[in-house]
Amino acid sequence: MVAPPDDDALRALSLHHSHTGSPALAGVSLGVGEGEILAVCGPRGSGKTTLLRCLSGQTVPDEGEVWFNGSPVHTLTALRRERLRRERFGWIGPEPSLVPELTVWENAALPLLLRGTPHRQARAAALEWLEHLDISAHANRRPHALTQPQRQRTATARALIAVPSVVFADEPTATLHRADRALVLRTLLAAARSHRITVVLASHDPEVTALADRTVTLLDGRRTDTPEAADAEGQAECSLSV
Amino acid sequence: MLALRLTRGSHPLVLLRRLLVAAASAGVGFLLLSSLTHALAHPGDSAASLQRLLWCALPLAATVHLAVVVARTDPATRPRTGLSAVGLGPGRLAVLAAVSTAVAGTLGSALALLFFLHLRGDLTGLPFDGAAAEPLASGRPLPTGAALILLALVPFSTTLAAALALRPRGAPAPAEAEAPEATAPPRPPGGLPWGCALTTAGLAVGTYAAHADRGVSLPLPGQFDGHPAGSLLGWALTAVGLALAGPALTHFCGRLLQARRPGAARLLAGRILMEESRRIGRPLGVVCAVASAVITVWTLHDTGPHPFGPLTGLGATLVIACTAATLITSAVEARQSRSAATENLRRLGASAGALRLAALLRVLALLLVLTPVTWAVATLAAVPLAR
Repeated sequence: MVAPPDDDALRALSLHHSHTGSPALAGVSLGVGEGEILAVCGPRGSGKTTLLRCLSGQTVPDEGEVWFNGSPVHTLTALRRERLRRERFGWIGPEPSLVPELTVWENAALPLLLRGTPHRQARAAALEWLEHLDISAHANRRPHALTQPQRQRTATARALIAVPSVVFADEPTATLHRADRALVLRTLLAAARSHRITVVLASHDPEVTALADRTVTLLDGRRTDTPEAADAEGQAECSLSV
Repeated sequence: MLALRLTRGSHPLVLLRRLLVAAASAGVGFLLLSSLTHALAHPGDSAASLQRLLWCALPLAATVHLAVVVARTDPATRPRTGLSAVGLGPGRLAVLAAVSTAVAGTLGSALALLFFLHLRGDLTGLPFDGAAAEPLASGRPLPTGAALILLALVPFSTTLAAALALRPRGAPAPAEAEAPEATAPPRPPGGLPWGCALTTAGLAVGTYAAHADRGVSLPLPGQFDGHPAGSLLGWALTAVGLALAGPALTHFCGRLLQARRPGAARLLAGRILMEESRRIGRPLGVVCAVASAVITVWTLHDTGPHPFGPLTGLGATLVIACTAATLITSAVEARQSRSAATENLRRLGASAGALRLAALLRVLALLLVLTPVTWAVATLAAVPLAR
């Protein structure tokens, strides 16, 4: 099912990007509806991470456009994109990448603290999300005292705590065993469904992508799922944007 | 050869740090050679020459400290996955660091010798030939063995210290690929009791010595006469005490910063300071000690006419510049080691402004706590001497 373009929370138009000469994206177009869970599927090196980075405004594509809620992202200054990430987006990477100096609950509450939420309120929200993810017992410990799955759950809580509009999950379960994988994915998807959070989930694992509403397949920086549909989508959007 | 190849490809800032070591080494070499010429010029007054030689220990210590920190910060000596896989592990890298340090130190010593011979008038053809011929005892032949031993002192001690500081310890080296959050943080630094005890002991010794008989004295070179050996010992004790207390004081600053329901900036600033207290604290304590010594000398300088000689000025400049450079290099090292965490914060959308604010808060907290300490130590050290 392809959502009508006007409903798209996030839209990419023929993205091209290369890392110092080696091409990563070669003309990818896609749209993600509000509250939709889109899986980006493809082997390593197929451009999933670059696509997510472009969509989340961490990287500006060499060519092409990214639109979020009807306003362009690719033309924003670095400061405005930073603010967009802080206030509207969440990110879960393959590594938890927590701040080693902060305790677990402080790590989870960091997005709220960065937005200027009062300490007490941020702590309460963090403890609630940690409870959902079954790590509230470790809330006052440092990341080094946790196991890797517990750290990844903390990173998941950090991505969800501010109830962002879009959560980008780049191989969030790559380093986890099956049981932990199920918990992280279940929490992420349940939160997405109940708060109408849009999720862009990159994974090479068919089991993970099967949980999504829709799947887009990338290979060597190109969409391989439905080339006709992609082309038609691109044309329709070009005519709309004129 | 690998050391040279790595040096050739390194960043200009890294080269600048090595050049600083070379410059400091040159300065200390020149001071040592000057004390040798003093001995040559005044064969009867060996006590004064020995005293000059002993005063060179301070710049030498500062230079060794700088060389060790520079060697530790050098990106070429950091364990790297690729190099470790081809057998260039922590052990070989320590050797590599020692070799780079030896090269920098030897370069400095060679420069010192050239400059010294030039000022003495032994090398001709450049401006200022023999400009300082008389104070550098140009009439007498230079004993080669003594000069070489003095010149080898700096490269030898810096190399030894760098090799010792970087030698692989019994504990396994942290895996290169391991994420920063997976490594256990260092324990909070102790050393405050020892630091306080030594600082107070140093001040007490200084006070006691100032009242003691001024006949047994170890005066500063130049015209800074009349200070007993005891006050020098007192200063040394105070400096060691401050250096020991530095990490704990830094940790305390961090603890203060993140107390009482902090926001993001205060939380990050405080925790980072607590985490980095071991790395930053030691050089910071040394800087405090040097600063308090400078303040003390300044106060005494105001009360009486004591113009410094050029060599005393060179020594003081070396000590101040080396300790400042050591502190800055340690700060750079801390920043490098946090680069991954900073990258994560930026990905979360932490603005550059927020990160700068956190850094500013750290500096302010350190200034707020350490300035009074430095001032108090300086004032207490100056009281007995001013009378």
